[in-house]
Amino acid sequence: MNSALTSIKLVLLGEAAVGKSSIVLRFVSNDFAENKEPTIGAAFLTQRVNMGDHTIKFEIWDTAGQERFASLAPMYYRNAQAALVVYDVTKPQSFIKARHWVKELREQASKDIIIALVGNKLDMVETGAERKVALEEAENLASQEGLLFFETSAKTGSNVNEVFLAIGQKIPLKSAQQQQQGQGSSGLRINDDSRVDLRAAQDGPAPSSCNC
Amino acid sequence: MSFFDSLRQKAANVKFLDKLADNFTPVMNRDEKFRLEYKLPEEEHVLDDTNADVSILNPYKRAKRAENSERSELAYVFSGRLYLTPHYLVFRDSFDSTSCNFTLNISTIRKVERAPIMSYAYSLAITLHCGTRMVIQFIGLRNRTDQFCHKFKELLRENIPNTKLLAPFLETCYSEYLIARNVLRESDVNPPPGGLGQRYRYPGDASKEKPKLKLWLDYFQDQGKNLTIVKNHMFYKLIRVGVPNRLRGELWEVCSGSLYSRFANPGEYKRLLEANEGKDSRAIEEIEKDLNRSLPEYAAYQEKEGIQRLRNVLTAYSWKNPDVGYCQAMNILVAALLIFMTEEQAFWCLVSICDNYIPGYYSKTMYGTLLDQRVFESFVEQKMPLMWEHITSHDIQLSVVSLPWFLSLFFTSMPLPYAFRIMDILLVNGPKTFFQVALAVLKINGEDLLEVDDDGMFIAILKNYFQTLDHSAHPDSADIRYRQITKFQELLVVAFKEFSIITDSMVDQQRSKYRKDILHNIESFAKRTQLRNLPQVRNLTPDNLSNIYDLFYLCIESHKISMGTGSSNMDFEAFVQFLSKFCDWCKPSESDERPNFRKQKRAFLKRLFTKWGSSGSQELTLNDVVFGLDGLLSKDLMSSINYFFSLFDEQGKDEINGESILQISEALLFLTEAWKSGRYVDKLTQKSIEDDIADSIVMNNSAKGGTLEDIELPAGVTIDEEKYKQEQAERYLQAASNFLQRSFEYARPSEEKEVDLIDLSDDETESKQAKEKKWESLKANVALNPNQTSVMDLATFRMIILADETYEMFFAHTLRNSIHVDEKIGSRDSRGGALRNMFDGFLADGKRVASQVRRRVDSVATKNSSSSGSAAEATDIQDEVDDFTSGHTFEHDDLLKHDLISLEDNEGNEPNPESQRKKLESFSFSDPSETREHSLIEFEA
Repeated sequence: MNSALTSIKLVLLGEAAVGKSSIVLRFVSNDFAENKEPTIGAAFLTQRVNMGDHTIKFEIWDTAGQERFASLAPMYYRNAQAALVVYDVTKPQSFIKARHWVKELREQASKDIIIALVGNKLDMVETGAERKVALEEAENLASQEGLLFFETSAKTGSNVNEVFLAIGQKIPLKSAQQQQQGQGSSGLRINDDSRVDLRAAQDGPAPSSCNC
Repeated sequence: MSFFDSLRQKAANVKFLDKLADNFTPVMNRDEKFRLEYKLPEEEHVLDDTNADVSILNPYKRAKRAENSERSELAYVFSGRLYLTPHYLVFRDSFDSTSCNFTLNISTIRKVERAPIMSYAYSLAITLHCGTRMVIQFIGLRNRTDQFCHKFKELLRENIPNTKLLAPFLETCYSEYLIARNVLRESDVNPPPGGLGQRYRYPGDASKEKPKLKLWLDYFQDQGKNLTIVKNHMFYKLIRVGVPNRLRGELWEVCSGSLYSRFANPGEYKRLLEANEGKDSRAIEEIEKDLNRSLPEYAAYQEKEGIQRLRNVLTAYSWKNPDVGYCQAMNILVAALLIFMTEEQAFWCLVSICDNYIPGYYSKTMYGTLLDQRVFESFVEQKMPLMWEHITSHDIQLSVVSLPWFLSLFFTSMPLPYAFRIMDILLVNGPKTFFQVALAVLKINGEDLLEVDDDGMFIAILKNYFQTLDHSAHPDSADIRYRQITKFQELLVVAFKEFSIITDSMVDQQRSKYRKDILHNIESFAKRTQLRNLPQVRNLTPDNLSNIYDLFYLCIESHKISMGTGSSNMDFEAFVQFLSKFCDWCKPSESDERPNFRKQKRAFLKRLFTKWGSSGSQELTLNDVVFGLDGLLSKDLMSSINYFFSLFDEQGKDEINGESILQISEALLFLTEAWKSGRYVDKLTQKSIEDDIADSIVMNNSAKGGTLEDIELPAGVTIDEEKYKQEQAERYLQAASNFLQRSFEYARPSEEKEVDLIDLSDDETESKQAKEKKWESLKANVALNPNQTSVMDLATFRMIILADETYEMFFAHTLRNSIHVDEKIGSRDSRGGALRNMFDGFLADGKRVASQVRRRVDSVATKNSSSSGSAAEATDIQDEVDDFTSGHTFEHDDLLKHDLISLEDNEGNEPNPESQRKKLESFSFSDPSETREHSLIEFEA
């Protein structure tokens, strides 16, 4: 299939052990590991998704969740077009942290970053664990801050792909515009955004061999 | 400008954060350097040192050498420096320390004797417990040698008790087992307890294990082992080719020096665990999250035993070093250590690695990690300019790629067996190893890396590289020997040959070069984060919060925090210091010399401290302080009064009893002391000064018979400072006594009983001292009356405050304006700045008085149309008036002692509103106690 390729830099943020890496693993390899090594610094993975008329390549930065790693986060969300702020629906503390991340992203990250709020470990609630973060509370935050919102389970895979698809659907319009701008200026511009545009311009016409 | 002036000016220009960081660029003293170099425990320091020639003779010399019986007594002689520390005899060859160096625990010395003299020189023959003999020939003056030997003798005696520890300690060393088994042929000995590898096997290929063990056995026979090992070229070579798994634990201990700390602290590990059993902490919570996720591919960590060991070591470390607690990546490091070591060995090894190899990596701010990333970048820039060009031109963030390598000591990047090899070398060669390996990784993959243009692709290429380290580096070579070289071997060659130019001292140098930047960044990041997460406040602007933040951390040793240690809360003493930095009424003054005042001050501040504390602990957080100040700085009169009342209304019933009424009045006395003693001027006094000046100008003018329309402002004004101060003091005293009197008058008594209050008339002629006396007796009267059980509610309190102009003003303006949350740190600290402020203050003041006059003139000359401009000016002034009572730096006092200060106002240089505000804050009177005679201050308009 011959379709345009858009790259999206996406970063995952959230408290330690809420399942950031597991969400990525589910999305990238449709797999789940009970005991995943904590992410040290950050991990980098990619996944392509076919969105009909075009393909999106997600460049995923999965960050470490421990509090003290927070000062490294700007390194990763720099230039990110999308962010997943993840919390654990059974851990209220992780939701507080999620609020902080949303605030920080709004203040420090790219202006038009798309943020998705993700309540993970829904399977635990379904199997009897007590839900500690109300659906309503999270929805409120999402509507106040203009976030996408999902409750997911990386373990069962429920809703995980939907998060990424929703992000993919929100992005292409803007990217396509930028792409044209990039081509218009003969692709020689070097600035923060140009990286994505340039490659998109190069990759676009080439027949894409891999589609998911 | 003189040298010192320029220095001082420079110093004054240094910003607060710079100063902070400067103070904490660690300067190591000689002992610290020495300890770091020889990896010795904390308590060791150099007691004496001397030059010496050392030769070593060993009992287990292998047979072929022993055959030349006579000659075998001849050994290499190494010239170097010999050091004595409380527990160690340390030697290193002066020319090349890797040719011979040792760190002998003195308790391992069995015998010391004068060596048979072969020359004029003075020699000692030392026999160690393991049989090794060494001859030390001292070089230098005889009396120095005597001194050294004398010290040595003392230490030998002091260390006798430690020899008892030796036998049990040696039982934990695998090298002892090897010797006993293979040299002494004791067949019944068992290997000492070791790491998980003993049971769960060691990762990687074990085919070379046996020949490697044999080599080490030979080495131990020749050069001693564990506490008595002598390191020479062969030692370093054997480490480089890879350590046998069974000996790895012990050799890591030897190389990292953790062997010495474990020997020095027998039982401490166990005690730490026992003493803290069952306790909970943040670190423990975090550790638990990661226990199941540490090297999960290694069998032992899927079972209880392995996980329990991991838990124990990490927990013990979090108690040993609560400032660090637990950082993700430590779990992986410890999991790796535990494969080769017992819990106790791994614990001490972890301590040594964290302290000596990767300082600050795991701290709460991870400043060490960030710092080394910066250092790494600078090495790439210097040594691989092409790569650096590529990285910067494509906006690739190198640390995104390399940070995990450093942080987890390559354990999460490379297959375990290779990471162990890197660890072998790291522990013996020091932190430069990281940089050498990391540079080599970039270099080897340079061609591929130069072709991609984002950090994600960088990571992908290198991930693939690390996973194929066992592949041939030259798969297409015709020469089979080339084909056999693996990528890992190539990596070591490039790292330690090509990048041997990276030395430890270069690393140190670069670390100190960038330390300040990194700490600064961390501080500003932490500040941004904390300010962002502060709860909503009503009366403080973001700038105020920023200033409060700076002041808060200034008072609680913020330097420690950016290094990731220390508490970020404020205790009472720090709180007092904190307030005294920006609250006029809390600043140190001569009033502090009066015990009574000190008592009032402490009582009120303690009350404030308790009220502000939210957690019930004896400390305040930044949030507490922000909330508290927000309440104190209420913008309108009523909420300001309410807040003050609530400080005393402990039950929250909107009602306080007689005792609290007294406390309120004491608190008011304390708070208003600065105005009562004339250090500051409140708005009322200010107004009366201006009125008087304006009056006199107008009067002078009309006396001269000039028309009011073309009134000329005089070139200068003089005011009688002492008079106003006196007036103000009396006003405050009067307010205080009025308050107390009215309080008990209007307080609702529990029983209807008339309180006999002595009369406090508003007699103008009454002297200040008499009033003070009267107040005291009034207070005593009220306090002493046991039947006094009146209560006062909030409404009454408000009424009483509003009944007095001075106190009303105090709550409406004076108090709020005496709390300078709008001033940045440093603006009031630097001497030059204060001086300038003061000058500006006078200038602005002259102008203001002048416009006051104009206004007055305008009001007299009612029909004069020139009033329009002045009216606009007047509204500006009205705003400024609010700010007037504040601001005062002590430098003023010195300058104000001069009776006359005449100032030129530069009319053409209209100050902008911002600086005008500053200026006004700086106006103040000198202290009356210092200048008894009337001082005259002249203004020029």
